[in-house]
Amino acid sequence: MREFSQISSNWRSAETAQLYLNRHKIPAIWDIDTRALVRHIRKVGALRGVVATDGTPADQLVFEAKQIPTMAGQELAGRVSCKKSYSWDKGSIELATAPWTEQMGAAVPAGETRKHRVVAYDYGIKQNILRMLVDHQCEVMVVPAKTSAEEVLAMGGDGVFLSNGPGDPEPINYAVENIRKLLGKTPIFGICLGHQLCGLALGGKTYKLKFGHHGSNHPVKNLLTGKVEITAQNHGFVVDPESLPSSDVEITHVNLNDGTNEGMRHKSLPLFSVQYHPEASPGPHDSHYLFQDFVKMMNEHRQ
Amino acid sequence: MPKRTDIKKILIIGSGPIIIGQACEFDYSGAQACKALRAEGYEVVLVNSNPATIMTDPELAHRTYIEPLTKEYLEAIIARERPDALLPTVGGQTALNLAVELSESGILEKYKVEMIGASLRAIKVAEDRLWFKDACKKLGLEVPNSALVNNAQDALRLCDQLGFPLVIRPSFTMGGAGGSIAYNKEEFGEAINHALDMSPVHEALVEESVLGWKEYELEVMRDKKDNFVVICSIENFDPMGVHTGDSITVAPAQTLTDKEYQRMRDAAAAIIREVGVETGGSNVQFAVNPENGKMTVIEMNPRVSRSSALASKATGFPIAKIAARLAVGMTLDEIPNDITQKTPACFEPTIDYVVVKIPKWQFEKFPGADSTLGTQMKSVGEVMAIGRTFKEALQKGIRSLEPSTPWRAPLETPDSLLREKLATPRPDRIHWILTAVERGLPSEEICDLTKIDPWFIHQIEELTAMNRRAASVTVETASKDLLREAKRNGASDEHLAQMWKTTPAAVRLQRARYAVAPVFKRVDTCAAEFESFTPYMYSTYEDEDESEPRNVPKVMILGSGPNRIGQGIEFDYCCCHASFALREDGFETIMVNCNPETVSTDYDTSDRLYFEPLTLEDVLAIFEKEKPQGVIVQFGGQTPLNLALELKRNGVPILGTAPESIDLAEDRRRFGRLLDELKIPQPRNGTALIPEEAARVAGEIGLPVLVRPSYVLGGRAMVIAYDVNTVQEYVAQAALMGPAKPVLIDQFLEEATEVDVDALADGTDVVIGGIMEHIEEAGVHSGDSSCVLPPVSLSPQIIATIREYTKRLAIALKVVGLMNVQYAIQRDTVYVLEVNPRASRTIPYVSKATGVPLAKVAARLMAGKKLANMNLPLVRHNGVAEIAVHDFYAVKSPVFPFNKFRGVDTILGPEMRSTGEVMGTSTSYGLAFAKAQLAAGQKLPRSGTIFLSVNDRDKKHVGPLGKELAALGFKLLATRGTAAALEASGVESEEVFKVNEGRPNIVDLVKTAKIDLVINTPLGRESFYDEKSIRRAAIRYNIPCITTLAAAHAASLGIRALLEQGTEVAALQDLHQGKLAASNSPKSGD
Repeated sequence: MREFSQISSNWRSAETAQLYLNRHKIPAIWDIDTRALVRHIRKVGALRGVVATDGTPADQLVFEAKQIPTMAGQELAGRVSCKKSYSWDKGSIELATAPWTEQMGAAVPAGETRKHRVVAYDYGIKQNILRMLVDHQCEVMVVPAKTSAEEVLAMGGDGVFLSNGPGDPEPINYAVENIRKLLGKTPIFGICLGHQLCGLALGGKTYKLKFGHHGSNHPVKNLLTGKVEITAQNHGFVVDPESLPSSDVEITHVNLNDGTNEGMRHKSLPLFSVQYHPEASPGPHDSHYLFQDFVKMMNEHRQ
Repeated sequence: MPKRTDIKKILIIGSGPIIIGQACEFDYSGAQACKALRAEGYEVVLVNSNPATIMTDPELAHRTYIEPLTKEYLEAIIARERPDALLPTVGGQTALNLAVELSESGILEKYKVEMIGASLRAIKVAEDRLWFKDACKKLGLEVPNSALVNNAQDALRLCDQLGFPLVIRPSFTMGGAGGSIAYNKEEFGEAINHALDMSPVHEALVEESVLGWKEYELEVMRDKKDNFVVICSIENFDPMGVHTGDSITVAPAQTLTDKEYQRMRDAAAAIIREVGVETGGSNVQFAVNPENGKMTVIEMNPRVSRSSALASKATGFPIAKIAARLAVGMTLDEIPNDITQKTPACFEPTIDYVVVKIPKWQFEKFPGADSTLGTQMKSVGEVMAIGRTFKEALQKGIRSLEPSTPWRAPLETPDSLLREKLATPRPDRIHWILTAVERGLPSEEICDLTKIDPWFIHQIEELTAMNRRAASVTVETASKDLLREAKRNGASDEHLAQMWKTTPAAVRLQRARYAVAPVFKRVDTCAAEFESFTPYMYSTYEDEDESEPRNVPKVMILGSGPNRIGQGIEFDYCCCHASFALREDGFETIMVNCNPETVSTDYDTSDRLYFEPLTLEDVLAIFEKEKPQGVIVQFGGQTPLNLALELKRNGVPILGTAPESIDLAEDRRRFGRLLDELKIPQPRNGTALIPEEAARVAGEIGLPVLVRPSYVLGGRAMVIAYDVNTVQEYVAQAALMGPAKPVLIDQFLEEATEVDVDALADGTDVVIGGIMEHIEEAGVHSGDSSCVLPPVSLSPQIIATIREYTKRLAIALKVVGLMNVQYAIQRDTVYVLEVNPRASRTIPYVSKATGVPLAKVAARLMAGKKLANMNLPLVRHNGVAEIAVHDFYAVKSPVFPFNKFRGVDTILGPEMRSTGEVMGTSTSYGLAFAKAQLAAGQKLPRSGTIFLSVNDRDKKHVGPLGKELAALGFKLLATRGTAAALEASGVESEEVFKVNEGRPNIVDLVKTAKIDLVINTPLGRESFYDEKSIRRAAIRYNIPCITTLAAAHAASLGIRALLEQGTEVAALQDLHQGKLAASNSPKSGD
């Protein structure tokens, strides 16, 4: 950040961002020329980095940064995934509710409207995806990344969700294998890393972007409707649309800034996925319809 | 979707004269729309009554009509041009209202003109407050409770229902005109009557108040395929209750969480869809209750607006240009973003800096006007500043206003007064907040009194803490870190120098020693994510400089800063023209300005744009970075001129006329000697610093005298004094006001005719650009006087003398570029009143009238070209070259903001008070005058009753006027003395009571619409209550009111022409080629 506000001013605020970060031991960098940093990354591409405040000389820090392995080729999803499965029942946070607590987001009462049971693979899943699935009347069971397809199918859900997650999709062979096994047997919806894994499972390839897509203002065109949605994104790798078998796969979304792939669906089987974050919060709500599409797909598959 | 091919010719309506609430931002938007549609291959027809605009440059549209913006004239233009479509969304409320009128009266249908950009239904839903509220409620959005009323009785009944305070908003007015807040029944009664009067449909909304809530605006766009983007979010520093045009505003919104912001974004999208704005830009205003986050929708504008101009400048996203393309069926995803070139316009700009807009008010021009800020906009202009933090942007914004010196509350202000100053919003509130923080008033209390968000108050506390630390050292002992931190917070050298009791130069030197210098960052719409191809820059104190100056021949042009009375759009027009001309000649042009409403701050007007304050420090920093061959200071009005000498001292080469010549012309004594040498008469004059001296000087000169301070623009604080006491008081006042600058005392030439001359010179040759005869006699400020080109009543000998004097002056002052001379002709003697070796307010008007772009020519002269090589259409008169005039008259008339300042007298005097101007053209002088009057909102009647009341001086001349008016078929009413004077000339009139003579008196008659024209010439500056109330009533009831006999004569000519010639329209392109106006309607009738 260029400047980090020392106070907070909002009726829902319980503490300042600084205290919150302290409590969670998350470092923040501020009072730097952020534009200089962005321009540097734009020119040379994404970099490994070290944050230091102890006065270590710069060349030593550069040396240390170079020792950090690059993201490409690392299997990170398994490391950040939950160790045990758990169920999730909290919906989105209502703005009208106060005061704010971290546990907020009331559980949606179970009722007859609760129709779909979704098994969500956790490759580093964002809570808001779970909240939005609950908002869309889904019962959610979150499972570790390495849970086998057989186990998932045995759970008897109405659909499978493939989550976002860190790093390079290629080394996550087990996930690709599982998706291949699940394909056609249950509706599948993937976001971000989940989308890339689908790409690989369908026979495509992925590659690393120079500096990735980050931020909440990426225009994505939905090729099925011709409409543009403003999306939040955070990824370094993308699916190469040329590598996908056009007989099976239809490209559904494309990024208008650089033309890279942002979404696809299987032409005959119940699978679709997007590269960006329709659930993002912070972020625009333009792509919330994808959750409805998922529910619709589950409805159709059940019939 | 590709652009439409079924339409070929598009009519664009401009916004007319500059008025409060509708300023040059619509020149910016209209000019962008013209350029965009032309670039897409459409034929563009433009109509706007304001000649001082870039959009009315004959090159911009295919056909340009400088005609009154009324239904009648629009129909004539439509009948003549037969456009396929009408784009009403880039000309402010004026264009929108006119489009509605054209549509509802069936004219669009008759000529098969399609409205594009906004449908009639969308305009009506958005503009009709009740429909709009229903639309919002349908979407489940909250709106303040309210009801629409069309009479005072119903309105009063509402009060009990809704509870005070109440907001009163007249329907279909702009800038919140006629709106107010009432806290009790008494206030309400007056407020509702005023509001109903102001509304063209006699309707007003009475609304539950959300006073003190946080106020936000979203600038949004939508295209035919329903793509929707938010261009910019804007947060008002001042909470609800202060018109957004009068609020300090900040972009992006600073105190919203993402959840709240996204809810607002979703609401804006739903509203624009529900209202039915299919394409283009809109803005939606929201209020948020800080206590519980409750959000209500306040209003929306289905068109580009002042805020969208601000948003365009704040983000680099050209809303109007894109809106025009969307109107012809293109979609956001197929239009490229100019700045990144590689990405499309369908995105939401990211802002990695903070933008602060601060309004500029001029209450000093309107004694008696209430300076409390409320729901009706009162500011005349604005500045915008860009910094990397709110603190930096705020301080840059404050110093962009002029005067730029930091304001401090008088030390002895008691806390009770301070609290009142915080609680009641007025122009200086920000300074009182600074004072309160400095004094240690708890921030909770400041927030409570001002209702300003605690975050903003905290920022000001941080600034104050910074200043306190800075104040504890001296310029010598300040560390590099401290100096850098102060600069990073936006402190100016001048401010630091004041704190350190030294000079700004000493602070500058210290900065140089420590290498604490600003860098320039780019406004790139994307927070550096993509490469930017438009060098649109702002300064800040950071590590990396992104300006990448080029090593090519280049010229820097200093703009004119915030719009104000006397220094407005005309100067921006000149700066733009300088840039256009020099670009054409192969120079790289660099524009510096801080006014977001302007065309000059459009990123494609110049090669490079620096959005920076126009102070010595900021200009020098840019100069040092760019190292241009020269700097142009003579086009931006007084603001850059005031910097000229200091810039030159700092080694900056000033192009054109030397600053010393400019200084000489401003220095009464030296200039007087020069005039003596040149054998050019001037009114007797002198200067005085103290009252005793003033009395002596006035005695020597002979009364009446004109007194004024030195170095001013727009006749600020000028007074005509008929007695010595007034002179002495004035000088005593002036001495209190500021540093010892002498007061100027001039002989006042009564009953003289004033003439304005604009001339071009290259150091050896001189060309007269235009000679304009004022219609009001001397004594009315030249900016407030109507004038005509070519002159109508001057003898050839007088004109020859004027030409000769002008040439002599230009050569003596070694003018290179433009020069303006004001003359007064009294009893066949030509006196020089004033010489300004710089661009004047009349340049655009003269350029439109003659077809020769004087500012462009002047810029080329300044860059070294010679008049002899310019191929100008010249006529030589006894060795003096003059730009050839055409066979038509062009009358310029001023437009005043009196309807915004209730209780202010409308009498014209030496202090300029008009905000804008219009032009009327015709082969007959009378019709040109009538058209100018109509365009200025004074609709001269063709029949009915005229009221006359003239002063004793005018009584001897009123006979012929009365005769002419009676011959035209008018019934005449007159006060006793005037009636007697008329009778003496054999003119019959009916005598009416003055206010104090009984009832019904003249004001009663005005109020009951029994009068169609008021001719009322006042006695002196000190007018009677009677006269004042007549003129005020005329303004209020929208009856044309003429205050000089000369203008009344012109009006009688105009009325005759209207009756005989009917409605005439002509395109500027035709006029300049000698093709004259065609009459399009029957010669009589309405």
